[in-house]
Amino acid sequence: MKKNIYQPLKATIEEIIQETPTIKTFRLKPEADFSFATGQFIELTLPGIGEAPFTPSSDPKVKDRLELTIMNAGQVTCALHNMNKGEVVGIRGPYGLGYPLDKFKGKDILIVGGGVGLAPLRSLLFSLFSDIDKYNKVIVRYGSRSPSDIVYKDSIPKWIKKDKVDFLVSVDVGDPSWAGNVGLVTTVLNNLPVNLNNAVGIVCGPPIMMKFVTLKLLDLGFKPADIYLSMEKSMSCGLGKCGHCRIGKFYACKDGPVFTYEQLKGLPDNYL
Amino acid sequence: MDTYFLKNEDIFKFYDHINQKYDLFVPLKLKTTLKVKCDYGFDLPSEDYYLKKYSQADKAEIVFNDYRPIEPARTFFTHFKEEICAYFADDKEKSLKERPIAVFGLKNCDLFSLKIQDFVFLGGSEPDPVYKERRENALIIASDCLHFKEACFCRAFDINPHPTEGFDFNLSPLNNGYVVEVASSKAKVIAAALKDIFTPATLGQLSGRSAKRESVIRRLDEHLDAHKIPKKEILKDIVVSGYNSPVWQEQMHTCVECAGCVLMCDTCHCFLLADEALAENARRLRLWDGCLFKNFTKVAGGANPLKMRYMRLRNRYLKKFNFFIDNMGIQACCGCGRCIDVCPGKIDIRYILRRLYEEKYLPAA
Repeated sequence: MKKNIYQPLKATIEEIIQETPTIKTFRLKPEADFSFATGQFIELTLPGIGEAPFTPSSDPKVKDRLELTIMNAGQVTCALHNMNKGEVVGIRGPYGLGYPLDKFKGKDILIVGGGVGLAPLRSLLFSLFSDIDKYNKVIVRYGSRSPSDIVYKDSIPKWIKKDKVDFLVSVDVGDPSWAGNVGLVTTVLNNLPVNLNNAVGIVCGPPIMMKFVTLKLLDLGFKPADIYLSMEKSMSCGLGKCGHCRIGKFYACKDGPVFTYEQLKGLPDNYL
Repeated sequence: MDTYFLKNEDIFKFYDHINQKYDLFVPLKLKTTLKVKCDYGFDLPSEDYYLKKYSQADKAEIVFNDYRPIEPARTFFTHFKEEICAYFADDKEKSLKERPIAVFGLKNCDLFSLKIQDFVFLGGSEPDPVYKERRENALIIASDCLHFKEACFCRAFDINPHPTEGFDFNLSPLNNGYVVEVASSKAKVIAAALKDIFTPATLGQLSGRSAKRESVIRRLDEHLDAHKIPKKEILKDIVVSGYNSPVWQEQMHTCVECAGCVLMCDTCHCFLLADEALAENARRLRLWDGCLFKNFTKVAGGANPLKMRYMRLRNRYLKKFNFFIDNMGIQACCGCGRCIDVCPGKIDIRYILRRLYEEKYLPAA
């Protein structure tokens, strides 16, 4: 019999990396190879607890492992944060449309991330880095609440040194050890080294940050069709059936989760 | 389509035959002391019918339902709470083999709604296996409405109170029996097996059926005149432009957040995949959900785009009259009026749509 569409695949927690006091990266080993395109999301299932949608933060080229960077925020994530190596979870998917990498070719790619919103963007960065010749340059502006809230602390210094990459981190509130920029991420979006006629902007972060970054990018002259937003919704089924993630005439799970601002701009403030 | 005549005294032979292969559901009258009177001159019935599994013991109480039953048609295809699959592939597979169902008593509003349910559960990238199996194996025995409830408003959206498609059998009461329309190959096999009691319908019987149908339409149209419900072609327009209308907040003053409107709705389809923790293992459940529930759109961080009740009411209308018209070309409302009947706060979809229309097109001078 054909596999039931609601049935998850078993995956074992192989490694847990504490990124910040509230964020952990879980490396999962699925029972069978699992493919996804960058920006697509999966449903993570904890048997007996429930399901929640996440976008993988790992390299889509890797099929036998999957990494999820998750903040302890709700019921499922809280239970997940209390789990240990070797325990079994379920994954379903991948669902939705990811980042249209083809459309980014030969362009200046501006990536603006906020907090744990860097997770799906890390998967995008892996995809871009592995084909870096195809893109003009990659500019990353990452905002975090404080230095201790920065995720991927080990990787960021390596990414900063990469060719064709311009990576800047800003924190809302600094501390004595912090030598970098202090201020909301919107404050590091001025004088960007991008050619606006040949650039795309990709934004992922908390809703309030996405809103103001989008306004800022429009202000800078980005075209609505060149701004890509990852929409956070409470997707349940992932298949365009359960009705939870409606955004105007779209479902975030099947028409998104990555939308262009062009698609969303006519909608009221809360995107409903 | 083949048309036959079935006498009243033979209806149980028809039931018994179907019951051999199917779990047959038939209409019974709901015994209640609650009476809802129509307050503007029409003398309309207020009894309700419900559908119950056919049993010889109920024989005396099985009736013909003059209008739609109390429960939405989708109860037969997606259950309120059910195990949807084995948790993991190597767990014991939940048996999908159910006895097929046959439902007698669905009306044209229900058949219209099943189009919406089919679009959701059979359409998209992959069909829902549980729904698909039930729906494909089911036998739909629809019937004409002989009357209507105060809340019925199908005709406002050009849906007739008699079915013309989407059924296996359709029964139209006439004189001492029923004119039976046989639409599907499944139904043809049954009709052939019952040829002793199925006699070809006469032209006289067919015109008798037409006259009855027209009479119901005439009376329903007269009843609906008072409500001034906007035409279906304009629904999307008024719901979108009425985004900031005061009607949403005003009408939600009496809402008690029971979500009866979404759970009784014939076209609502939202659900939640949930886990049930049991001692030995967990179960994967699918539960009916609805956008009138407070946490419907809440995300883990706590943000909730529909945090106020009026937003949730508006969301329901945007889904029905904007989302579905955009994606499927028809409104997700069949005019069955179940949401009107169930609402303890007397929130009335007919009134809200009329208000949205009047605010846009007939603003006070």
